[in-house]
Amino acid sequence: MSLDWSVVWQHRGELLDGALLTVLLTVLTMLFAVPAGIVLALMRLSHSKPLSAASACFVEFFRNLPLILVVYWAFYVMPVAIGIEFSAFTTGLVALCLNVSAYNSETFRAGINSIRKGQMEAAIAVGMSRWQAMRQIIIPQAWRRVLPVLASTWVSLFKDTSLVSVIAVGELAHTALQIRSQTFRVLEMLTAMAAIYWLMGYPQAKLVDWIHRKFGVKE
Amino acid sequence: MTDTGAIVRKGADQTPVVAYDNVRKQYGDFVALDGVSAHVNKGEVMCLIGPSGSGKSTALRCTNGLETVNGGRILLDGLPLPDAETEMRKIRQRMGMVFQNFELFPHKTAVENVALGPTTVLGMSKAKAAERAMALLDKVGLVTKANNFPSGLSGGQQQRVAIARALAMEPEVMLFDEPTSALDPETIGEVLSVMKRLADEGMTMIVVTHEMTFARRVANWVVVFDHGKVVEQGPPQQVFENPVAERTRDFLSHLGWNG
Repeated sequence: MSLDWSVVWQHRGELLDGALLTVLLTVLTMLFAVPAGIVLALMRLSHSKPLSAASACFVEFFRNLPLILVVYWAFYVMPVAIGIEFSAFTTGLVALCLNVSAYNSETFRAGINSIRKGQMEAAIAVGMSRWQAMRQIIIPQAWRRVLPVLASTWVSLFKDTSLVSVIAVGELAHTALQIRSQTFRVLEMLTAMAAIYWLMGYPQAKLVDWIHRKFGVKE
Repeated sequence: MTDTGAIVRKGADQTPVVAYDNVRKQYGDFVALDGVSAHVNKGEVMCLIGPSGSGKSTALRCTNGLETVNGGRILLDGLPLPDAETEMRKIRQRMGMVFQNFELFPHKTAVENVALGPTTVLGMSKAKAAERAMALLDKVGLVTKANNFPSGLSGGQQQRVAIARALAMEPEVMLFDEPTSALDPETIGEVLSVMKRLADEGMTMIVVTHEMTFARRVANWVVVFDHGKVVEQGPPQQVFENPVAERTRDFLSHLGWNG
């Protein structure tokens, strides 16, 4: 078997664009899913039954479906269901946001619940509203505790963005697989794809380790 | 005073600051407070004593609405506590609370802990609140620790910051929930002396405590709880030296108190 690695170099521009799109998908998803996760967690923990139930339904729905199914669903069903057709990129982004928001919600909920009850009581005792106490006292402390978990979610998400390749979003996986099918250089392209994901993922994983060490709860 | 023993309490000519009127509190089948009546007048220190689980902490927590009562009333300056949460929030601003485990905000420095109530709740400017906070830290002897985080303070220091935090809202009454129970023996004294100083300045205080020496020395009125009931109340001389109720005598003798 003869290997021709020049195919990777020839398509470096497309692969770079694909890699950038992968990063963009990850960043945009997290930018949306972190605040959404906080809102869902606060809804879930609120005293309002309808808010709490709505949040629970959303989270349990999207947390327990395979992401690839959500991607297909967003692509085929969402345009019919709500009558709006998005680009493949936006559709993929929506699917990722739905999934990761649900996960982040559970992360924040656990983080908020891990702050002992006395902190809320102390804030309330000085006359703060529950909302003020959440914003000033509980969320800043919970944030520190969930940061390592969010960082892990980030790395998972970075890899999971490859799933939107099934609806032809031109991110790294899709680009690499396209080149593979045009050039028939299967081994070279899959290896190159693995190498690029790994080289980009490894520093992020190391960063997560560092965040774990720096912010992890040491009790 | 005649030797028939009519007791004239401090501030008795005014409406009590806090009054418990036949207060009941239940958790499921467990009756935590079973018809508690007592009151504290302006400038008085009222100590709530009794065995663990007797309801004294519950009574204190009902006072500022951290727990809601199931029967009877609690009155502040003669007015019953409101049901609405927004109204209750205004009431809480008039009461300072100090917790057993301090509950300082760990992500804020000492001075920030004290200033947070005035800025968040009263809308005071940061500079003015910091000024007030520094004055209060000075009062509890911790002005040099203003920029320390709670993790860098001893238990006694943390509790003194917590007292300053409660005072920052300029409350009419201070509620202390076993303020020295979580402290090392050597730091209990510094907290008690801050509390004694507050009492001497005329602060109205309700103190749940196991520190009988403090209660004997500082309280104007002592209320003895047992199984959710008030078994005896009176001035410390009476409760500690001449207790009427057998339960009080039992409780005090278990603590090794002998007058």
